[in-house]
Amino acid sequence: MKLIKFLILFLIFSSSLLSREYIILQSTTSTANTGLLETLSDSFYKETGIEVRAISVGTGTAIQNAKRGDGDVLLVHSKSDEIEFVEEGYGVERFELMYNDFVIVGPSNDPAKIENVRSLNEVMRILHSSESKFISRDDNSGTHKKELFLWKKANLVSPISNSYIKTGTGMANTLNIAAEMQGYTLTDRGTWTTFTNKKNLKILFDKDEALYNPYGVIAINPVKFPHVEYKKSQTFIDWLINGNGKLLIKNYEVNKKKIFFINEREHNLK
Amino acid sequence: MISYQKIFEAIYISLHVSILSTLFAFFLSLFLGYLIAINKFYLKRTIVALLASLTSIPPVCAGLIVYLLISRSGPLGWMEILYTPSAMIIAQFFIIFPIMITLIINYIEEEYPRFNDELNSYGASKKDLIFLMIVNKKSIYMTVLLIGFGRAISEYGAAAIVGGSIDHVTRNMTSMIALETSKGNILLGVILGLVLILFSLTISFVMSVIKKKDNV
Repeated sequence: MKLIKFLILFLIFSSSLLSREYIILQSTTSTANTGLLETLSDSFYKETGIEVRAISVGTGTAIQNAKRGDGDVLLVHSKSDEIEFVEEGYGVERFELMYNDFVIVGPSNDPAKIENVRSLNEVMRILHSSESKFISRDDNSGTHKKELFLWKKANLVSPISNSYIKTGTGMANTLNIAAEMQGYTLTDRGTWTTFTNKKNLKILFDKDEALYNPYGVIAINPVKFPHVEYKKSQTFIDWLINGNGKLLIKNYEVNKKKIFFINEREHNLK
Repeated sequence: MISYQKIFEAIYISLHVSILSTLFAFFLSLFLGYLIAINKFYLKRTIVALLASLTSIPPVCAGLIVYLLISRSGPLGWMEILYTPSAMIIAQFFIIFPIMITLIINYIEEEYPRFNDELNSYGASKKDLIFLMIVNKKSIYMTVLLIGFGRAISEYGAAAIVGGSIDHVTRNMTSMIALETSKGNILLGVILGLVLILFSLTISFVMSVIKKKDNV
């Protein structure tokens, strides 16, 4: 019995000895895969001594985790869910952080022939009726929610045919699968730019207003969850939207391409 | 673009977590294993059978159970250990503890009567007996340790769920392989995979050497 006691005591102490000089950021695979989160948390740590520990999952999972109190800050991309999150009292306030956009990628020989189609609704209709595979995230992520929105916007129900493949995993992994299966998929431009295993996939449709992708950042409400490090979280958010974090996002490049933009105007000029 | 620092970090985290979880599971299963094997009590067979059936618990399920326990909304949320190495140690503990204790119980149940008969005639106490059994068959315990460690370090799922795969903190070898492969960085995945295979080969090699020594 002594051993069990020791074990429990050890676990309690080893965790409480790590005085919380860190905050847990519930975030998405798209921000982590691009390397942006790492850059931000490294600089923030150097400036303030506060460590940012990022969990990167789909937007839906990140929000669920945050609602359970497992995190201090939420950084995701699904505006309506974020607003709901704040309204339900889980979050303090939503701040617009940055933007990029979604693109539709597919095999370069373009079997469904969408490359020269101008209307996004038309593209969705073609992909819906085509024999070519469409690879869906199917994980409640921001990208998956956007995809569902796009089907709906084109007056379609989400496909159920054999050519509609549901992966249930992150963006980069879904791109891997799309490349292997020679299918079409919806991806955020950031992950696409940093993805190194493109094979013969290429962008076949982009730059439509409906493909706009805003990211929001929210501190988790200390009234609901007294254990959260609210002050540190707010310091981080202020640093992101007004401090050096803003500059870092603005100047962040992958392969000499900007992938996140600070405000709408700049985004449209790209 | 391969960062060796990241590879070493992942190896360090893997070793740190798996060694601690193995040691905890080992000492607890040694202690409880002896208690269960030597004494006769109500429901003993049921407990032994239950432990034996838990040896095949899938890592993701162990991870999920531990996650539900230590999540902020779970009963142990106040401990604040979700997304820390401690959480990974607990999850791995649940995976390897049933294996280690089952092996130890089997061994003691087989050996104890023999030792008991022989040594009782020399007037040895129960304490001496247990001490002699441990000292005499060190190789058995080495094998149990290595089996536990091999399973802990190669496990993917449990540690990833409760650790959150946080860079520098809880990203061990297996979660890094999964992550980097999914990002398309196949080379980094391959390097880490080779290191992991090297570990498990070394373990099985050491185990076969121990067995040989034991047979001589």
